[in-house]
Amino acid sequence: MRRFNFFGNLMLAVCGFSTAVLLVIFGYICYLLTSGVNALRLNFLFSSILDNGIFEPLIGTFYLFSGATVIVAPVGTLTAIYMVEYSSRSKLTRLVDNAINNLACAPSIIFGMFGFTFFCKFMGLGISVLSGWLTMACMMLPIMIRSVEEILRMILESVREAALALGATKWQMISYVILSSAMPGILTGIILSIARIAGETAAVLFTACFYTMRGLPKTPLDPILTLTYYLYVMILFKPGYLDPGEVFGLALVLFLLTTTLSSIAFAVRAYYRRRWGRWM
Amino acid sequence: MSHIKHFALQLKALGVAGLITMVCALLTVSVLALIILFTIGESIPAFMGWTGAPLTWENRWTAEQDRYGLYVVLVSSAMVSVGALAISVPIGISAAIFIAEIMPRRLKDVVKPLIELIGVIPSVLYGFIGLKVLVPLIQSLFDIYYGQTALTASIVLAIMVVPMIVSLSSEVISAVPIEYREAAIALGATRWQTIKHVVLPTAMPGITASVILAFGRAIGETVAVVMVAGCSTELTKPFWNFLQPVYPMTAAIALGFGEAEVGGAAYHAYFAIGTILLTFAFLVNLSASLLMKKGPIRLRL
Repeated sequence: MRRFNFFGNLMLAVCGFSTAVLLVIFGYICYLLTSGVNALRLNFLFSSILDNGIFEPLIGTFYLFSGATVIVAPVGTLTAIYMVEYSSRSKLTRLVDNAINNLACAPSIIFGMFGFTFFCKFMGLGISVLSGWLTMACMMLPIMIRSVEEILRMILESVREAALALGATKWQMISYVILSSAMPGILTGIILSIARIAGETAAVLFTACFYTMRGLPKTPLDPILTLTYYLYVMILFKPGYLDPGEVFGLALVLFLLTTTLSSIAFAVRAYYRRRWGRWM
Repeated sequence: MSHIKHFALQLKALGVAGLITMVCALLTVSVLALIILFTIGESIPAFMGWTGAPLTWENRWTAEQDRYGLYVVLVSSAMVSVGALAISVPIGISAAIFIAEIMPRRLKDVVKPLIELIGVIPSVLYGFIGLKVLVPLIQSLFDIYYGQTALTASIVLAIMVVPMIVSLSSEVISAVPIEYREAAIALGATRWQTIKHVVLPTAMPGITASVILAFGRAIGETVAVVMVAGCSTELTKPFWNFLQPVYPMTAAIALGFGEAEVGGAAYHAYFAIGTILLTFAFLVNLSASLLMKKGPIRLRL
């Protein structure tokens, strides 16, 4: 019996050791990514890439995800409303459910190829911000729908019944009662999917970004630069063009952008899960 | 006729607002349908050999010479993803056990969101760190000229998929009912015996699902792999040698697809790789969701 106990404690120690190793590795990665803090000056953020700044990629990233959000937020929210409020057991709902699962697990390079073939070539939009918006919207859909769906399913049935009993029509019930309670879910969905898009490289590679693009896009049919794409090009094709410190500064901006957005979304989600979870 | 009448009645019950939501739901489904349609449709000429430069099993993939050998890309992808799992699964699962079973609740509430947050770091940053730190390390450690190897890619991928394994597995392990553990402890089992004989077998379907999902993520990962895998157009050594540059499927697409002429042989060949990737992704999703439904613990992906 003693021997077993010794072996068991040894195994538990091994488990603890690997947890510690993981935390050390992740800590080291974060330390490396934040070592570009010296390059992080307003001058660096707001001067053009021709003057070794990152103004265009920074604006390009915001431009890309704001347009994609405008497309995906209504579509995602309405789809989730259909799934939960209108027909939670229909064939279409099951189909949407499977489609979301499959979309969520498709590799991002597939979205890039699809976006290039369908939006850029088939629809004739070319390599442009517009193609980028549409491609990104496809990638954001599963995250958006899942977040809204989660919170809609948390809303108590009696809340709906109360609204209907007061004489509201179904749509009045949804727009006045359900949507206002579902706001945190919609917000989480938007922020989470923006965080995903802000860090995406493979899907903008063929659809929205152009290597020789200079300046800001004038119309939605111009290509853009994003932070991820600019970093990718600078590392892989033009090593030595930027100072090492500036590359680390670029990496730090990208790191801060994605982690900040995600931690906001996680905090909002944790808050409403804790507050509403016990109603379920 | 009655079908149509029934359908019309259903539509009427939806109302205008309901109809709009239904259109959005249909739009979501059609996005997936279009992706499948275009990816498979554009790959048919390559698979059927209509392009003049057919897909082969040879050990070379170069669009410049119109040679599209699937051997190099498939074997490279298998090498890096299996290598990534070989590193990440033992560490990930043991860390998940520790976090779910041993760690005090307060610490757990800090560590779990942190690991989840690590999972959202963009892949281009992992590639960057791999290139800056791991490539020189491998170079000097094994005394080779070229540090971008299958081993490097495996390690980078392992670091990228480990958060997924840890957070999903620890969630599944935490979801094992407390009564199971109480019963085992009442029978005189030690802590480790309880974990080994009761908790892990119950959580096994979910843990397996997390490993499968990690495999899917590893095989579909693009940008980090392009940076650290070396991307030579042929494998110069046998596939069990991890100290050679490799050319995984996603890297081939990322480097070559942009230059491929639309409708040309290369274009269709890259879509053939895309179809293979998409098939893997769907198989991964299917098996993971089947496993998640099994057993006493239900988890949503």
